[in-house]
Parts: sequence; structure tokens; C-alpha cells
Amino acid sequence: MNVIEELGLVRIDDRLIHGQVIAVWCKHQPFTRIVIVDDGVAADPFMQEVLRLAAPPGLQVDVFSVEEGIKALNQSTPDRGTTMVLLKSPQAAKRLYDGGVQYNALNVGGIGSAPGRKNIFKNISASEEEIAILKYLMDRGVEITLLTVPGEKSRSFSDLVGKL
Amino acid sequence: MINIVLVSHGDLGDALIRATEMIVGPTERIFSVPLLPNESPEGFGEKLAVALQDIKGEETLILIDLFGGTPYNVAARQVLKGNVECVTGVNLPMLLELVMSRDGASLPELAETITQSGREAIKNLGPMLNK
Repeated sequence: MNVIEELGLVRIDDRLIHGQVIAVWCKHQPFTRIVIVDDGVAADPFMQEVLRLAAPPGLQVDVFSVEEGIKALNQSTPDRGTTMVLLKSPQAAKRLYDGGVQYNALNVGGIGSAPGRKNIFKNISASEEEIAILKYLMDRGVEITLLTVPGEKSRSFSDLVGKL
Repeated sequence: MINIVLVSHGDLGDALIRATEMIVGPTERIFSVPLLPNESPEGFGEKLAVALQDIKGEETLILIDLFGGTPYNVAARQVLKGNVECVTGVNLPMLLELVMSRDGASLPELAETITQSGREAIKNLGPMLNK
């Protein structure tokens, strides 16, 4: 079997590319490529332009629907280790995983509050359904860490899950 | 009169309005839409839409605090409207220039003018004062 290298980072952040991702993550780890996997942004060329415009030179930004993302991320490319995958929700993370992109680690970096969601850690909120999805991924061996940016306090989802 | 809408991380927009008024006195038609720490981009987008509803159809200059930040991601689409311009990296000199010169200039001219004056207002004092 062909072993595919681990992705640099798989992150759930409903803000996608923003100050924390560019200013902190990209200085902490030498990412060369950001892959946004989101059906909404994939169908919105103007939003893609807005996101690409603000990315630093030298950082490639690709945008895929979940279906396209599964195909693209299942390929062994030389830049996999320096690729950051950005997703808006646990739902997208599950679709990607079930579609065959079986990452070992997942960073939950930001999910804003909304009706039906409760705050679980710092700037991270989740609904019952989203918590159940994170458990589903955890049960399959994905190591889930709640962390906004490197250097900040982090929390392992497996430590938190019993208290939710 | 051209409307000014500040979109910023937290209280920055409100603080910039207060600082401007400290210098030039009370101002009109200037609004702030803050992004709160736990707010989702969608929630912030709805708040911005409500704020812009009141000034629907009128000329509006949106001042965004950080190029590439969430307020930018959410507000940038407004620039597609014919009577809206967006400028990022807002600072106090830009806001001062704007409130003093917004009568008389066209909206695209005004956006360009404050983009230049915002840059020119940034000085490294050491070399200028022969340190």
C-alpha cells in the first residue's frame, strides 16, 4: 500500500484565513500551501479572490468543495507536509475523513457562537451534533487539540469530552 | 454627506471615533461595527448588514482595521456595490482627514486620498530627528 505523508495541519476555523492563521501559524510552521475545503467558498469566486489577495506572497491558496478536496488531498504531493487544510466546521472534517482523507491529528482553532452552540473552550463553541462528530473522529484515533494559535493554552478534546 | 462605517476587531472602531471627536469635536454619520471575540463570521456579517441597511443607497466609505483579518473577509464584498468603497488599515490620521474633507470630494477620490494620507502619516522619528 502506498503510504501518504501526513498533512502539515488540518484545522477547523470558521474564519478560514485571517490574522491568527497568517500572522502566527505561518510564522510558527513553514507552510507553503493553504487548502480551503468548503462548499460555500468553492462556489464563490469573489470570496476566493478576497482570501487570496490577503495571503502573503509565496503561500499558495487552493479552494475546493468537499468532494474535490477528498480527491485532491488523497494524492501524494511533495508539499503535503507543509500544507494547512482549513475547514469551517466539524461536519466538513467528518466528510473529509469519511471520504478517505484519514488525517491523524485535528486542530480546532475557532468556531464562533451561534444559536444551539455552547462555548466549550476559549473562542470555540459547538452544538451537540458537532461534539458528537468530534467524538466520532476521536474514537477513530484522530488526536483532537483545541488551540487558537501556537503558544496559547491548548486543551485535548479527549480530556474535555467527559465534562461536556 | 458620505457615511463612514468602521469595521474592526473589538473596540478599536469606537475608540477611533472617540479619538477623532477629541480632536475635531462631534461628528455625524460615522458608525462602528465591532467584531466580538466569540462572534462567528456569519454573525458579524449579519450585524454589518443591519448597520448598512439604515444607510441603504447612500454613499458609504467602509474603513477596515486589518487587511486579511475577519472584518476584511466579511466586509470586502460590499465594495461590489456602486456607492460603497472599502479601505483597509485605518488609522487616526485617515479618519481625521476624512471627517474634515468628505464634503465636496467624490467617494472614489476620497478613498484614494485617505489611502495615501494614511501611509504618509506613518513616520520613523529617529532618522528624521537625527538621532
